[in-house]
Amino acid sequence: MSADPRLARSRPQHQQPTPVPPPPPPPPVDAQPSSMMALDGTDDTSGPRDGVAPDGSFKLKFCTVCASNQNRSMEAHLRLASANLPTISFGTGSLVRLPGPTISEPNVYHFNSTTYRAIHAELTQQNTQLYTQNGLLNMLSRNLSIKSYPERFQDWVPGKPRLDHAGDQGAAGTEAGVVDVVITCEERCFDAVLDDLHNKGGKLNRPVHVINVDIRDNHEEALVGGKAILDLALSLNEAAGKEREIHGEGGWDSGGGAARRGFDERVPEILAAWQERWPNMPALWSLAWF
Amino acid sequence: MNASSQTLGQLESARSLALGDGRYYPTIIPGVLPIIGANANATLEIRRWGADFLAETFASPTWPSESKESLGLTVLPTLLEYLEQVEDTGVIKSAVQAAASIYPLIYRHIISDAHDTQDWQLMAAIKSNILRRMDLAPPGVRICCVKFVQQVVLVETPGIVDPRRPEQNDISLALVPRDHPLIPYSTLEAEASGLLDRLLDIVHGDHSDALLVTATLNSLGMLIQRRPYVTNKILSSVLNFNPLKLANSPMTPKNKVMMKSMERTTRALLMNVMKRNPEGPFNGRIQQYLERMHRMRLDVFDESNRKRPAPVEPTDGLDPAKRQRLGANIPSAPPSVPPLPPGPVSFRELFTLSPDGNTANFDVQVFRDPEQLLRIIVPILQSIDETKLGNAINIVRSRYLALSKAQPRTAIDTAPAATLVAVDDEEEYEPDFEPEDAEQIANKLDSTQPDSLLPERVSDARLAPYKLPQAPPLTEQEIQKYGDSTVRRVFGMLSALDDSKAKGTKGGFNRLAASNNDRDSWATILSRLATRAATGLEDSGDDIKMEFNSLSKKGNLALAEMIREAIYNYIIYDWKKRIDVAIRWLNEEWYNDRIQIEAMRTAAKDATNGDAVRTAEPKGNYQRCTLKLMDGIMAFVEGTDKVLLRFISEIPELDRDLLNRIKKMAEDPERIELAIMVFQYLYMFRPPVRQVVVEVLEDMWRTNDRAKPSAKKLLVKWKPGVLYEEVKNETANGALEVKAI
Repeated sequence: MSADPRLARSRPQHQQPTPVPPPPPPPPVDAQPSSMMALDGTDDTSGPRDGVAPDGSFKLKFCTVCASNQNRSMEAHLRLASANLPTISFGTGSLVRLPGPTISEPNVYHFNSTTYRAIHAELTQQNTQLYTQNGLLNMLSRNLSIKSYPERFQDWVPGKPRLDHAGDQGAAGTEAGVVDVVITCEERCFDAVLDDLHNKGGKLNRPVHVINVDIRDNHEEALVGGKAILDLALSLNEAAGKEREIHGEGGWDSGGGAARRGFDERVPEILAAWQERWPNMPALWSLAWF
Repeated sequence: MNASSQTLGQLESARSLALGDGRYYPTIIPGVLPIIGANANATLEIRRWGADFLAETFASPTWPSESKESLGLTVLPTLLEYLEQVEDTGVIKSAVQAAASIYPLIYRHIISDAHDTQDWQLMAAIKSNILRRMDLAPPGVRICCVKFVQQVVLVETPGIVDPRRPEQNDISLALVPRDHPLIPYSTLEAEASGLLDRLLDIVHGDHSDALLVTATLNSLGMLIQRRPYVTNKILSSVLNFNPLKLANSPMTPKNKVMMKSMERTTRALLMNVMKRNPEGPFNGRIQQYLERMHRMRLDVFDESNRKRPAPVEPTDGLDPAKRQRLGANIPSAPPSVPPLPPGPVSFRELFTLSPDGNTANFDVQVFRDPEQLLRIIVPILQSIDETKLGNAINIVRSRYLALSKAQPRTAIDTAPAATLVAVDDEEEYEPDFEPEDAEQIANKLDSTQPDSLLPERVSDARLAPYKLPQAPPLTEQEIQKYGDSTVRRVFGMLSALDDSKAKGTKGGFNRLAASNNDRDSWATILSRLATRAATGLEDSGDDIKMEFNSLSKKGNLALAEMIREAIYNYIIYDWKKRIDVAIRWLNEEWYNDRIQIEAMRTAAKDATNGDAVRTAEPKGNYQRCTLKLMDGIMAFVEGTDKVLLRFISEIPELDRDLLNRIKKMAEDPERIELAIMVFQYLYMFRPPVRQVVVEVLEDMWRTNDRAKPSAKKLLVKWKPGVLYEEVKNETANGALEVKAI
């Protein structure tokens, strides 16, 4: 029934450049083919209600993380931003790695300095046909419309204002440089995020929910994963919004019942419910500190 | 509401100003406080905004903690009001977060300003309010309280005091003076210890609350990093934590998520600890723990569908009712060890603890490949249980002690035991200090006993060059005296070497003079000392000092003269055997004289542009010494001493004075033949002096009647004209005689 952690471990690590060229580029965000969801066994009806966070209400701030800040985290970034959620995204690898002409010749770039546009230009020049066929150019054009360059999680200084990222999609609400939820796309990234937060030492004293959603590193899975992450994010956002509504006299001491419980303690059950809807993406979670 | 949203808009624009540049915070906070703060009677919306703003402001890395410290004092009443009067989770959460950021700043302020009772009371009220919520508040608030408590533990535990790298920003108990009136050291220490216990209790408490557990675990990492004093306590506690305890309860999706998450969070924490300190003493235990967790997790998540859940391991090791005691820390009795066999004991027996003989008989040399051995040894060393190793060492120690008491051992026997202990000690980390400098060594030596009990081994550092203290300058007499005795000692050595007559083969022209410890070498050295040692000094002054009569004034020249005297005496003492020394010496004298004359000529030329001053060339030492030696020898020469022939032939320069000595020698009838031989030899083999030889011989022929016949034989060949004249004279005389007759 549930995913096997052993299988998760033995699964080939796909965030590295894949030898097999990924299938054609993903369709536009809004056009979600229902056939794919059916294949994935997901139940759309139990997902988030309308797929967009209502304007003007309280919003959780999100951060999506994968290895190279190219495919899975960027797909999720786009989904969340499109749903009106404040979102930023990162990669945890040491370098940005993209498939090259052969498996032994990946294209490697530096984080935080090489823009998506520059990578796009270089790959176009290198072999337009190959990188069109394996979807890299399409992915890069999507990415450069979201933000300007891949960012490395370990180099991020939480709490440092991100006013210079105002042009990024989903930037609204992330100006202060902190988030409430970090969603990683792979266990390795999850471990890297927890490790890095230990190293950063929790100086802000601000709690952050770190959640892993295991997504294989190819275009289709990224697409499905993006939907799943949006589903999760909207569920969390809704719970957080409800907490803000509960206030007033005698609030917590006299309170009772699941509806009155706060957002943070509900995260495990929200995640469990989400896992039921998305059984192919084993989830992990931890409350860490910025 | 409308007014409220208007105010919010204003506040928001103030906030974006501060986000744009952290330097605005000190001006914005005083402006914002009256709106959001105590007694402002603000709406909930504004208070939420205010609490969030304060949490964000004091966490912000964009402005310095010094300004935060002074502004932190101004927001304390607001925070206290939020905590005491507002019943909203959002406000409380943010207020506790802000308090967690502010507490270290206020704490540092109080350390330096011990009389600010008022602010400290406010902070203390905030602290006790938060601590009260630790157990009762909703989990979302409790996690913030956990972080606050972690901050309190952090600042109230002594930090790393590393003199090499003083950490100014690390606010810790180390900064608190012992006698601080407001925050007594011991109270803080005790409080921190108690609060840390509360944190660790959360980890071991109700595991159904994964939120609190992971929040606590994730906050412990920083304490492990920065507070070595409590690392031990925290890690021991974490290693006894069983994140899979919930496996006994129904396997709901939520429980599964929580178990996996707690397991993963623990793993991330421990991996981080190992990564930061790859040599850490806990790493072996952490490794074991992680492996055990991994297996358990596989068991729990794979088989929970088919079987009963795995039994939960007791965490305290004290519950005997449980079926399995998987990772419990059961205090194990030291394993029994067979006593040593009676009689003499081999090292192998001394160190063999296992009653099973197989391991003892194992020969490590079967591993031909050292790489292979390494691959085996390293994991084994990592997995060695510390207590077991300690036990084993103790057993061997006690065995050894018993043995050494039983029979006095030789020093050789003690060596292995010493190394056994030493190995244990040398595992300790030893920082690579720079090699000690001379001053440190000097300090070390100073601190040793004055009766010069030198340490056995000063250190491995290279020794600084030792300079002898400057001796007081010698007086001229002293120089004379010491030089004298030195020279005498060299001659003593020379005489001693005379006896050992083992003659090596001659090196020929390529040999270096004076490179062997034999008589020739020393003789060369001495003669050169006598002739050349003072030469440089002679050069520097005027020419006159070359004269013998000025020598006594000059210490160095006097020394040279003294050496000459000694050589002279040495030769005269046994002149036949030591004639080679004489020859060598005189050759050196002659050579030196040539050099001197050469140098003087060039000097004179330089000085006077050539011709003008042609000072009388100094006579030099050669002639003087030769004549003196000649006179000395003459007293002893016998008619058969052909060694004189050699002497005369080998000295470099001959003159009339010298030959006159020979002529004089011939006055002794026994030595006439010798003198004739000398003349003959010189005439034949030293053409430059041929003329002089003939003249001297002629002179001899005329004045020395006894030598006449011998001289006549030579003169017949060399200068028959003289003889002819003589004959004429004779005939004239004869005629006279005849006439007379």
